[in-house]
Amino acid sequence: MARKIFLLLLALMLMLSVLGCTPEESPQEQLRVASLGSPVNLNPLFIRDNFSFEVVSLVHASLITFNNETLEVEPSLVKEWSVEDEGRTYVLNFNDNAKWTDGTPLTAEDAAFTLRVICHPDFTGYQYALFFNAITGSQDYHSNHNSPLADGSIEGIEVIDENTLKISLDRQMAPFLTYLNFFPLPAHIFGDVPVAEMEAHDYSRNPEVTAGPYILNQWVTDEYLYFVSNPDFFLGQPEIDEIYFRIIPNQEAQLIELINGDLDLIPTAVKLEDVEELEKNPNIKIYSNLRLVYDYLGFNMHNPESPLYNKEVRQALSMVLDREALVRDILLDYGRVAYGPLTPLHFPFDENFQAYFVDKQKALELLKDAGYDEGFELRLILNAGNEVRENAALMFKEAAEAIGVEVTIQTLEWQAYMEAAMQGDFDVIISGQGSDPDPDLTFNWHSQSPLNELGYVNEEVDSLIEEAAVALEQAERTMLYREAQEMIVDDAPMVWLYYREAVHGASDRLMNFKPHPNNVFYQVHLWKFK
Amino acid sequence: MRSFLTKRMIQTLVVLVGVSLITFFMMNLAPGDPFMMDPEMRMNPEAVARWKELRQLDRPLHEQYYSWLVNLLKGDFGISLIHNRPVLELITERLPATLLLTGTSLLVALLFAVPLGILSAVKQGTFLDKWISFFTLCGVSLPNFWLGMLLILLFAYHLNWLPASSLRTVGVAASFYDYIKHLILPVVVLSTGSAAYYIRYIRAGILEVIGQDYILTARAKGLKESTVLFRHILRNSMIPVVTVVSLSLPFLFTGAMVTEYVFSWPGMGRWIIMATLSRDYPSVLAVNVIVAALVVLCNLGADLLYAYFDPRIKYR
Repeated sequence: MARKIFLLLLALMLMLSVLGCTPEESPQEQLRVASLGSPVNLNPLFIRDNFSFEVVSLVHASLITFNNETLEVEPSLVKEWSVEDEGRTYVLNFNDNAKWTDGTPLTAEDAAFTLRVICHPDFTGYQYALFFNAITGSQDYHSNHNSPLADGSIEGIEVIDENTLKISLDRQMAPFLTYLNFFPLPAHIFGDVPVAEMEAHDYSRNPEVTAGPYILNQWVTDEYLYFVSNPDFFLGQPEIDEIYFRIIPNQEAQLIELINGDLDLIPTAVKLEDVEELEKNPNIKIYSNLRLVYDYLGFNMHNPESPLYNKEVRQALSMVLDREALVRDILLDYGRVAYGPLTPLHFPFDENFQAYFVDKQKALELLKDAGYDEGFELRLILNAGNEVRENAALMFKEAAEAIGVEVTIQTLEWQAYMEAAMQGDFDVIISGQGSDPDPDLTFNWHSQSPLNELGYVNEEVDSLIEEAAVALEQAERTMLYREAQEMIVDDAPMVWLYYREAVHGASDRLMNFKPHPNNVFYQVHLWKFK
Repeated sequence: MRSFLTKRMIQTLVVLVGVSLITFFMMNLAPGDPFMMDPEMRMNPEAVARWKELRQLDRPLHEQYYSWLVNLLKGDFGISLIHNRPVLELITERLPATLLLTGTSLLVALLFAVPLGILSAVKQGTFLDKWISFFTLCGVSLPNFWLGMLLILLFAYHLNWLPASSLRTVGVAASFYDYIKHLILPVVVLSTGSAAYYIRYIRAGILEVIGQDYILTARAKGLKESTVLFRHILRNSMIPVVTVVSLSLPFLFTGAMVTEYVFSWPGMGRWIIMATLSRDYPSVLAVNVIVAALVVLCNLGADLLYAYFDPRIKYR
C-alpha cells in the first residue's frame, strides 16, 4: 500500500511539474506592479486611500508636481506661473497641447471648474478648508451658492483665456503654489452633474475621459487594473505600452512573484527583513527613499491633572527611549531618527538644535523636580498590525519603567484606535504624522487645528506658524520654522521616533524609476525596460 | 409537511430580522465611524457632517434601520458607504471567484473524503485505517494560513511550478488550463481541512451502523458485500454527513477569508474583512442577512434529506 501511495504522489508531482513548465512569458512592454490593496474611487477629488491615489496618478495629470529630491515645484499641466500683488495673485499658464482622452482640449476652464467643485457647499473632501478658502470669494461661494451644480463663478478665479488662469487670494499664503498639486476634472463631463452626486458617479469606477500618461482599459475587481499608454499625453506617449496593477495583499506572495519574474515592481511595500536576500538577486534592484512622514509617541496634554500636563515630565520621558537602537534593530537602518517636527526633506530642516537624547539620570532629576519621583502609570495605545510600532511601544515601556513609570500597552483595531485618538482616550499614543511638500506646520502644530489631538497649545508657536505661512521669502520662512521647531521640541509634546524609508523592489530591467516621497508613479511616462 | 414548512418559514423570517437587528446595532455601537478610513477627513469637520448627511447617517438609528429594512423588502441591499455603489453589485462581482474556489474545494474534499471514510471504517484497525487517521489528524490540525504559506514556498518559490497568487495569469489569454494552475494550491489548502472532517464523520457514521443487527441479517441473507455496504450501511450512515456538509454550504458564499488572503484570491472574504474594518454598515448587514438566510435554508434542506435517508423520520 505504501508503494501505491508513493506512486500516486509521484504521479501528482509529475503532473504539477508539467503544468509548471509551460511557457507563458508576458511581452516585454508590459509593466506589472504590485499593490497590497484595491483602489476604491478613481475620481481624483474623492480619493480616500493610498491605493486609489496610486492609480489616479497614472490616469490623471496634476497642475504642478514636485521634484523627487528637492520637493521644488515642477511644471506639469501648468507650464509656467507668476506670482504677483505681493503673493496675492497667481497667474498660471497651461500647456496648450494637453487634451482629454476624448480629444477635448484640457484648458484653464477645467481647472477653474475643479476649484469650484472643491469650494461647493456639497463637496465632502477636506481640500476647501485646508487649501482654498483663501481664494477671494470662495467663502461666499461655499456659504451661499444655491445651485447643486458647480456653476456660477468665484470672484478670485478668472479664466483669462483658454490657457491662462488667474487666482486671487484675499490674504497672502506662502504655500499656495504647492496646493495646486491637484488633478483637474473634465468640466465638459461633470458640468451637469450635481456635486453631491460626483463621488458615486460612474466616473469613479470608469474614468473614461482622463488626461494622464495612461488610460484605464480594464478593472477586474480585486484582481488587477489594466492600463494602456496614452498616445496624446501632453508630455509625450509613455515608453512602456501597458501596465498591470495587480492586487496582491500577501507580501510574501508579492516577493515570490518578483523573484520569479511575474512582477516588475513592488512599490513601497518590501518587508525590511527581506531586503538583504533580495539584494543578492542579480535580477532585482532595491530602491529606498525617505517620505514626508514620521512616527511619534505623543503625550495627551488635555488633562491638567495628568502628569503629562507637566512639561518636565514630558521632557523626562523624552530622554528614556534609545531611538538609535530602534532604527538600527527594528528598521534595520532603513530610516533615520527623528528629533523634531520638520522632516529632512523640508527646506528649513536643520539638525543643529537642542534635541533630547538618552539620559536616564537627567530624566530622574526632572521627574523629581516635577514632584513625580514616586512614579506613575500611563496607558499607551497603538493600532494593531504595525510591527515597528509594536516594537517601539515595548521598548518605550521598558525604558520608562527604568525611571519608575509603569506603561500599559493597549493595541487597538484601527477604528477603535482612531476613535480613542479623536476623543483623547489615552495617555500616550503611537501614531504617524504626514506633511505636505511645503513645511507649513499649521495643520500639525497650530493649537486651533482640528488635528491637534494631543492638546498642544503654545501661543508663541501659533504666532510663528502664522507668520511663516504668509512670509514669501524662503530664508525668512526657514528662520521662522526653525524657531518654531525649537519651541515645540522644548515643550516635548511627543517623542519623535523615526522617519521610516519606503523600500521598493524592482526588476533590474526597469529603468528611470525614481522613488518619490509621495508619488509612486513619478515621471512614469519616462520609465522603460532595458 | 405543509405545516412543517410554514412553521420553518416563519422561523426563518424571525431569524433574519433578529440577525439584521443585532448586526445593525452592534455595528453602530462598535467604536469607529466609516469616515475614519480616511484620517485626513478629520481636518474638515464640516465636510464630514455633509458626508454623513448625504448618506443619511445623521438620522436616528431606528430610522436608519427601518429605512434599510423597507429597502430590503424591495430587494435593495443599500449602497456601500465606502465604494458608493450598490452592495448587491459588489457581491455579484466577487461571488463567482469565491464559488469557484469554495465549490471546487467542497467537491474535491468530498471526492477524497467519501472513499477514504468508507475505506477507513471498513478496514478498521488496519495499517490503512491508521494512515488515513493520521492524515485526518494532520488535516484538522494544520492551520490554513500555515499550510498555504508552506505550499507557496514549495511549489511557487522553490520549484516554481505553480503561481503564488490570484486566479489567473495577467497579460495572457485566459485558459482553462491557467485557471486550474491557479486553483490547485488554494483548493488543496481548503479541501485538506474539510476532507479530514468529512472522513471522520463518514467513518464514525459507518462504524455506528456496521454493527447493527440488520447488517448482520443482510450478510446472513447472502447479499454481496458491495450491496451491504452501499445499500444498507452507507445510506444509513449519511445523516451526520448530511448535517456537516449542509452546515458548511452557507460558507461557500462568504468564502475562506484566510485562504483568500494567502493566495490573493479576489473573492468575498477579503471584501467582507475590509467592509467590517471600515464600518461599511450596508455591506456587512447584507452579508450577514444572506448568510443567515442560507444557514436557515440549508438546515431546512438537511431536515428534508434526513427523511430521505431515514424513512422513519416524518415531519408534521
